[in-house]
Formats: sequence, C-alpha cells, structure tokens
Amino acid sequence: MADKAPEPDAEERRQERRQDRQDSPPASGSAPDGAERTAWRGLLSYAKPYRKTFAGVVACTVIAISADLLQPFLVKIAIDDHLMGGSGELGPVLLLAGLYLALSLLALAFSYWQSLLVQRAGQGIVSKLRKDLFRHLSRLSPSFYDRMSSGSLVTHMSGDTETVSQFFTQVCLSLFRDGLTLVFILFLMFQLDPVLAGYSLLLLPLIALIAAGFRGYMRRTYQQSRTRLSRLIAFTAENLSGMNLVQAFRQEREQQRQFEERNGSYYEANLREIRTNVLFNRSFDLLGNLSVAFVTWLGGRAVYGEGLEFGVLYAFITYIRQFFQPINSITQQWNTLQAASVSMDRIWKLFQTRSALPEDASADAAELERIGPGAVRFQDVEFGYDPQQPVLRGVSLDVAPGETIGIVGTTGAGKSSLISLLCRFYDVQRGSVSIDGVDVRHIPLARLQRIVGLVQQEPYLFSGSILDNVRLFDPSISEEEAREACRFVGADRLIRRLPDGYGTMLSEKGSGLSAGERQLISFARIVVFRPSILILDEATANLDSSTEQMVQRALAAVSAGRTTLVIAHRLSTIMNADRILVMRSGSIVESGSHGELLGKGGYYARLYRHSQGQPDSGRQPAG
Amino acid sequence: MKERLLRPYLAAKAPLYGAALLAIALGNIVQSLYPRVLGEFTDRLQQEALTPVLISRSALMLAGIALLYSSLAGSGQYLIMRLGRNFERLTRKRLFKQFTRLSEAYYAKHGVGSMLSYVLNDVKSVREAISAGFNQTANAVILLGSAVVMMALSGLPLGLVAVCVSPLLLIPPIVVYFGPRIRERSRHAQEELAAMTESAEEQIGGMRVTQKFAVEPMMEARFGARVDGVYGSQLKLVRLSSLFQALLPFLGSASLVVTLAAGGYHALSGGITVGMYVSLTLYVRLMINPLQQIGNVINTMQRSRASLERIQELLASRPDIEDSPQAVELPQRADIAVRGLTYRYPGSSRPALDRVDLDIRHGRTTALIGRTGSGKTTLAKLLLRMMEPPAGAIRIGEADIRDVTLRSLRGSIAYVPQDGFLFSTTLGDNIAFSKRDATESEIESASRQAMIYEQARQFKEGFGTRLGERGVTLSGGQRQRASLARGLVKEAPLLILDDSVSAVDAETESAIVSSIRRVRAGRTTLVIAHRISAIQHADEIVVLDEGRVVQRGTHEQLLREDGWYAELASLQKGGMDHGGQGA
Repeated sequence: MADKAPEPDAEERRQERRQDRQDSPPASGSAPDGAERTAWRGLLSYAKPYRKTFAGVVACTVIAISADLLQPFLVKIAIDDHLMGGSGELGPVLLLAGLYLALSLLALAFSYWQSLLVQRAGQGIVSKLRKDLFRHLSRLSPSFYDRMSSGSLVTHMSGDTETVSQFFTQVCLSLFRDGLTLVFILFLMFQLDPVLAGYSLLLLPLIALIAAGFRGYMRRTYQQSRTRLSRLIAFTAENLSGMNLVQAFRQEREQQRQFEERNGSYYEANLREIRTNVLFNRSFDLLGNLSVAFVTWLGGRAVYGEGLEFGVLYAFITYIRQFFQPINSITQQWNTLQAASVSMDRIWKLFQTRSALPEDASADAAELERIGPGAVRFQDVEFGYDPQQPVLRGVSLDVAPGETIGIVGTTGAGKSSLISLLCRFYDVQRGSVSIDGVDVRHIPLARLQRIVGLVQQEPYLFSGSILDNVRLFDPSISEEEAREACRFVGADRLIRRLPDGYGTMLSEKGSGLSAGERQLISFARIVVFRPSILILDEATANLDSSTEQMVQRALAAVSAGRTTLVIAHRLSTIMNADRILVMRSGSIVESGSHGELLGKGGYYARLYRHSQGQPDSGRQPAG
Repeated sequence: MKERLLRPYLAAKAPLYGAALLAIALGNIVQSLYPRVLGEFTDRLQQEALTPVLISRSALMLAGIALLYSSLAGSGQYLIMRLGRNFERLTRKRLFKQFTRLSEAYYAKHGVGSMLSYVLNDVKSVREAISAGFNQTANAVILLGSAVVMMALSGLPLGLVAVCVSPLLLIPPIVVYFGPRIRERSRHAQEELAAMTESAEEQIGGMRVTQKFAVEPMMEARFGARVDGVYGSQLKLVRLSSLFQALLPFLGSASLVVTLAAGGYHALSGGITVGMYVSLTLYVRLMINPLQQIGNVINTMQRSRASLERIQELLASRPDIEDSPQAVELPQRADIAVRGLTYRYPGSSRPALDRVDLDIRHGRTTALIGRTGSGKTTLAKLLLRMMEPPAGAIRIGEADIRDVTLRSLRGSIAYVPQDGFLFSTTLGDNIAFSKRDATESEIESASRQAMIYEQARQFKEGFGTRLGERGVTLSGGQRQRASLARGLVKEAPLLILDDSVSAVDAETESAIVSSIRRVRAGRTTLVIAHRISAIQHADEIVVLDEGRVVQRGTHEQLLREDGWYAELASLQKGGMDHGGQGA
C-alpha cells in the first residue's frame, strides 16, 4: 500500500472500480484474439518506416544462409561427379572448396549485417514506442492515474517495451533466418529429387499437429508461472518497503514462511513449464531424426532399385536434418513471442486509453484575453467520481480577484473535489466552473494549468538541481528569475547554505531537505510560473508548527494580490483568510470570517474547540 | 568477503548433475554413431553390396538412434533445468531471509528497486547460466568430444582429422578476446536501461506536477534523452556481439572447406574410401552447431558472473544489529533510562540526538514533542534497536539495551509509525499482524479503540476487505488508524506512538487520544507528536530541539514556563482571544 490517497473521495471511487478491475482478465494473454490482432497491427505501423531496413535484412539473410545450405549440394557434386565416378582429378574438388570458402566469407559478412540491421530497426521502433507512450501518458487525465498504480505504469514503460524489443531482436531475427532457411531447404530438396521431396512434405502436417497439440498447454503453463512470479515480486516489494514493521513486530519468520509459500508455488509452475517445453522440443528432435531414418530407407531402396545417385541421397539426408534446425529454433522463440504478445497488448491498451477530459478550447482570443484578474465562479456544481454518488451537491461560490478563501470540513466533505474541478482534473456533471467569466472547459488545458497554480501536501521533487526543480527544466525561464523567486519565498538563504547552492542535486528520495524546505522550493516554483489563482491543498499539513510559521510567511508573500484557495484541516492555517467556508457532505454549510463563524456557534466553532483539545463534554468518551 | 553459493549447491547436487550429464553424454554418443551408420551404408553401396535387408537395417538403426537420443538427452535436459530452478528457489529464500535481517542502515542506503533486482534479475541470470548454460555446454562439449573420438575410431587418418579441425582451434582465443568486451558493453546497456526505468518511475510519480505546470515538452525531452541512451548502448553492444556470433560458425565453415579439399585429396589418392569421406564431412558438420552454442553460453556466463558476485556479497554482509553473546531477557516492569545519548547518522556532521537524558517510567505516559528533524523518531528507532545506540546510553532496568535479546525487546514494544504502512492483505490480517491468532473480538476491540471500527463495518467484507492495489485504498487518516489498531492489538508493555494520528482530523484525534488514555492506563506509553493536543495529558512532556532536550515537565508547568512549548501552544491555539481580527 504505497500509494497515497489524501481524500476518502478517492477511496470511494476506488472501491467502485475495484469491481471492474477484478473482473478484468489478469494481465496476461487471455485477451480475445481480436484485441491482440489490433495490437499487432499497431506495432506494424511502427515498423513501417523501417520497410527498407527490413528488406535489407531479408536480402542479407538470403546470402547469409545460402553458404550454409549449398554446402551439402557442393559435397554431392564432389561425390557424384568426381569421387565416385568421373575424372578423379583433384582440381575440380579444390575449386569446389574454394567456392565454398567464398560463400562462407559472404555468409560471415552478411549475417553480421543482417543482425545489425534487425537490431537497428528493432531498437529504433522501441525507442519511438517508448517516447510515444510517455507523451501519451502525459496527456492522460488524473482519473487515469487514480486507477493505475505507478508501479504497473513503470512496468509498461520499461519492462513491456523491453519485451517488445526482444521480439525484434530474437523472434524477428529467427523468423527471418529460420523461415527463409526452411523455404530454401524445401526448394533445394525439390531440385534434388521431387519424389523424395514430395514424401518429405508429409512432415509438414505432422509438425503442425504437434505444434497445435502443445499450443494450449504451453500457453496455460506459461501464464500460470507468470502470474505466480508477479505475485512473488509484489510480495517481496511490499515487504521490503515495510521491513521496519516486520522487524519491529518480530514477524520475520512468518513473512519468510509466506514468501516461501509463493516462492514454492512459482517453482512448481516452473517445473510444469519446463516439462512441457522439453517434451515439445524433443518431439521435434525425434521427428527430425526419424525422418532421416525414413529417408534412408526410402532413398536407399531408390538407389538400389531405380539407380538414384548416391550423392543425391547424401545431400537429401543432410537437408532433412537441417530442415529441423530452423523449426527447433523457431519453437524456442515461442515463449518470447508469447511474452511480447502480452506486452504489446498491454501497451496497446494504454494507447487506446483516452483522456477523460475532451479538449474543447472553444474560447476565442478575446475571451482568453479577459482572463487575468482571477475571479472564480462555481455555479450549481454537481459532481461525483461516480455519477451515482454525488460528492458535490449544487455548490455555488463566487471568489473575487485577490480574495483569500479558507475551506474546512471533515475528510470526504468535498473540499478536494472542489479544487480538482477548478484545476480541471475532472469535469463537472452539472453546472459550471469559470475563471474571469470563461468556462474552464473552454480554456486550452495547458493554458488553464498555468492560470491555476496548485501546491499539495507532498511537494514532488524531480532528480535534478534545485534550480531545475524551481523552473521545472524550462529553459525559457532564466536562472535569475528562479533565484529571484527563491529570495521572494525566503528560501534563498537556506539554499545558499547548501554545499552546492542552487546546483545542489535533489531527488524524490533522500534529497537531504526537510519537509518544510521541500515545500519552500515548491512555493518558489509557483512564484516562477506566476499563476493568477493559487490553491493550497493541505500544503502545510506535514509540517510541524514552527516550520509551518516559516512556510506561512512564504505563503503570505506568494498569495498577496492573488486569488487564493486554502484547504486545511488545521484551523490555524486558515484563520486569517478573508472568508472561511465550512463544507459538509458536499455542500457549503457555513461561510464567514473566523470571528463571525465563532460567533455563530455552529460546526466551525465546535471544530475550533476540538483543535484546542477541549472536546465538548457531551461527546467525550468515558474514562 | 563472500559467501560461496554456487559451488556448495553443485557439490550437494553432484549425483543428480552426474546423472544428467551421463544421460546427455550417452545421448550424444548414441547420436554420433549416426555418421558411422551412413558411412558404412555408403561403402556398401559403392561396393554394390547393398541389399534391401541392409537398407532396412540401416534405417532401423537410425530410428533406434533417434529414439534413444531424444529420450536420453531430453531427460538429462529436464533434470538440469529442474536443478537450476531449484537453485533459484533456494537462493531467493536465502535472499529474503537476509532482507529480514538487515537493519535500517542498509535500507536507508539501498532502494527497494535495487534490492528487488537481486530477487528478480540476478537470481535469474545465475540460474540461466547454470541451467541453460550447463545444458548447452554439456551438450556441445560432449558432442564435440564424441565426434572427435568417433572420427579417430573410424579409421580416418589422424593427420587428416587434425588438419580438418584446425580452424576450430581459433575459437578459444576469439572467445577470450570478445568475452570481457561484450560483458562490459552489456553491463553498460543494462545500466542505461535501469536509468531509463528510474526516470520513468520519477516522471510518472511527478506526472501531476508536470501536468499542473504544463511542462510536458520539457519532461518528454528528459525522458527521451534516457530512451536515446538505451538505444545507443544497445547498438554498441550489438555491433560486437553480432560479429562474435557470426565469427564462430564461420570457423566451422572454414573447417568444412579444409575437409572438402584435404578429404577430397585423400579420397582421390585412395587414402580413404568415399564412405569415410562422407562420414568425415558429416562429423565436421556435427561440430559446427555445438561451437555456436558454446559462443552463446559464454555470453550468458559472462553476464551471470557479475550477478553471482552481487548475490554472494549481499548474503555475506552481516546484519549490524544482532543479539550480543551475553544477551539477557528484557527485565519486566522496569523503567527505561536514557543517559547522555548522542547519535549521529552515518555521513552526517550534525548529531541527530545530542546528550539526551530521558526517563520513561513504567506505567506512565511520556511524551516527546519537537519540530521536524528534532530527533524524535530517531529516539523511537533507537529504543526498538532498529539502529544501534551507543553502549550504556539506554538502559532498561539494570540491562543495557544492547545486551537485551532482540526477541524479548521487540516483543515487548508496539510501534505505530507515522506513515501508516499497511500490507496488501485483508484489513483484519493487518491489524492482527503481530498476533496472527488474534480472535475476532480482539481485532474488533482494538479497532474500536483506534476509531477504525465504523469504517471497517462499512466495507462489504468488513475486516476481510483486501487492501492495496487489488483492493480498497484507504486514505492517509484511515491508514494511520488501522496502523494504530495493529499496535494496540499487541497489548505490549510499551507502546510507542510516533506521530501516529497526524493525518487524522481534530475531532477524531481527540476521541482517539481519550481512548488510548483509557486502555493504556497503568501501562507504559511513549507518545511522539508535534501537536500539543495529542500529548497534553502526558505525565511528563519532553521538548526536543535540534537533538537536545530543551524543556521538560507537565503540560501546565510548561505553559507557565517561557519557552518553545508555551510559544507553540499559543501558536496552535491561534487567534483564540483575538479571533476575527484576521478578516
């Protein structure tokens, strides 16, 4: 349970979605074939720009395998024409050897180029896929990120794309090389003796039969071991994150036992998979060797009875053995192919996810021009993460430019939903949210995000210098601007005390800064990006009261002259707001300044007493 | 320092490996009879002594060879793969056990991702080397060996055989040259891939910020640079490994060229029969595939050696917190005395705790308050010996905490950390974490005390509701309350609450505080907080600032004293007396 859910609203809608997720197939190849086919077609569109490269690969492959395949043919000529009958001179034999040497050299060069070309195309495709996937993900709305854990997204980004790249480097290569080899061998066999070759064709249905028989079973065992592996990994990852608890509660042995349970069941699945694979590969092996025996018998009788040249029989026997090599190596690609197919399918599903927020941007230039002062209006807003369960029930609110609004309420009252709508993380179900008279749905998203600034409870720092984190790697923001922002929020002194000053490298983990210092940097970020509306969502919840004071000062500086919405469950944070709104189950129930609300003696007044450690006597638990 | 891993396993399983090798060896020896059968067949043919019976006999022999080979080689292969998987399983088990023994200091230095990669990648890479590697090497070496032996036995002139296989002798130097270079490049490619994964992780974690500031193009460029890094390093690797893999079969072909010429010369000059010539070419052909396999195996081996070393190193690292040789049971009903405790994190110049004196009296509630980074959590972790305190600084009764067995020490403490970490099992299992056989009513009463009971009842499956990725996600406050219930169920002599209700709203917090006061009456409790409302009822409150104790006393005493505490109290009480002026 590493992911955070600051609001129970989020939890409610997760509960709702849990059902779908459990019903959906486990991430494996059990998707209908139709979906798989689309996924492959999608991948094919990525391969298109590399058409010429792939043509080059085929050409290289033809030359590379020809040397290998013509060798028995050359020996046949040597046997039939020079050794068993014919002139008995050494010259032609040497010539044949020379020819073969030349072929081998060609094969060396071309098989090198072939694998280089395949890799170049494959890696190029995967790079493009990764970049496109990232671009796509960065366009998806927050509702998508509520659903997907970041862990599985990372798996898609690196693991699944890596598997797809293996498809190119291993499966594709094998299909080209081994597929062409098969065709060549068949061709040569027909050249040598059509009758014998005709008999060999009988092998094809046999091979198909074996493959078909194993296919379903192999797929099942493969999926089973994959599922069990991911369970084992999830268990381990979680226990590593919570190891201090395991140790503090002395549960090492019990967790070891549970680990071993999963470890063992993965092992069992592995053995089943191995058994299937060994049987599968060996049955081809056996079939290949039996075919040689069959050809020897058949061919021997032909040589005996019908005067077939022995050299032909020799070449034939060699070819029929070679015939099974490519088949064997293609079947060994089976697992990679299956993994790639599953991965491709998952990646494709991501690509097909559309953002829940349609880009409308119908506001014209004149309307957009009007935006600036930062007047916010909520009009009869109804909203629920699940439309059946409204979180906001007809909320109306007018915020004047430059006004500071404090919002309080118990968890689940709808505070965060309110600001999510203003940031357009979600769209309203009824009513409207507008800024300076323009509906947020009509403002281009990128523009809207720069108008509305948001500071959350957990400031997120990217790995990079402090400077990079303040200007978010945007080269259009000058270093001086960033420094100025830091001075403005009072972070400058602190930053210059650090060993590398503004160049100090930060990262999400272990940045060496305290929670308050990190929050200060995120304030500087806001200053640099100059939003006209500022939202602080529990921005000071993780700070202790004295650090909070420093942050409060920065906050006062940042919010001066800006429309500011502050959410807090600690009243000290919002007591000085121009107006305080009290929310309960989706509506605004009280509104006024701190003094006014205390005077009313309502919910706010009671909340205030609680925060002072003086619960009203009637509700105090016994003891 | 290293812990031997592979050798003892191979030694223990030597009989099985021996059997597997024997099966593969027999299989290959049987298979190498095949050119001989065909060679004789040819000779008979040339002597025009071929009869239908002879043809059928040859064919049957070939079929027999096929059957024997497939079953022998197949069972050998299965056995070796099974042994490899078993090794993988045992190693994983040991790794996990080691993880449970390593202390806070190790976890602080290493990310979960890198530790996971031991279980996932390193183990796999070693297993592949010993099973696929073992299999293919055994196959290849035996096939090569038996081909050479059969050639020698077939009556072919040894000089001719030697000349024919001479190009193959170049293989070892080529392998020695390419091996380390390929390993280096593949390590680099792996690092680039890891860097890209890390970048993806970071970018997805910060997606909200990226979107909120509309800086998607900048982030795309950052991630794109990582993707290009992977591309470049992969191609660099491929250039070398492709050359290597093309060179090995070429040497095989070169052998065939020599065989064609030299064998042809001997056949024409009558040194060997045409039948021998046929089997000679077949033998040389037989050797090409195994050579290629050896190349592949060497690549795998190179990669796995680094992994094996990594695993061995990890397994050899000694957990830095263990029972001392003279460890005693934890004294019962004793006071805890902290005297002159100074603690410095490794690599830090400033001590996190500086000469701290503190008494946690039996049966009383002691509170620690102070700003972030004042050393509160450090003290809690030292009490649990998640980190090792200096000798003599913390005593429980008469015993130094370092001389108390870990089992009895941690068994007597219930720790409730701030982050409210829960496992993705059911809610009930999480609460009963330290007491797996806890009854329904025990779980119920603990969750009532932690104010999570009502919430649990609202779930369709109650305490049987699964949490985490495949289940319900709790909010921060709910997680803290569930984690509190987990601590309360233990009913431990000492309860440590480390800012355990910071994400809970004020109303619920005051209810929880009262219920804890009730259930912990007469038992030792240490409360850590930065909100006064959470600790004001404590028997003694200790104020920490920058690792030092700056004030101590009861709530009332401290309010009367000028200082940090009174200042904090008025700050948190806020505009009580001058309310409304802010508007």
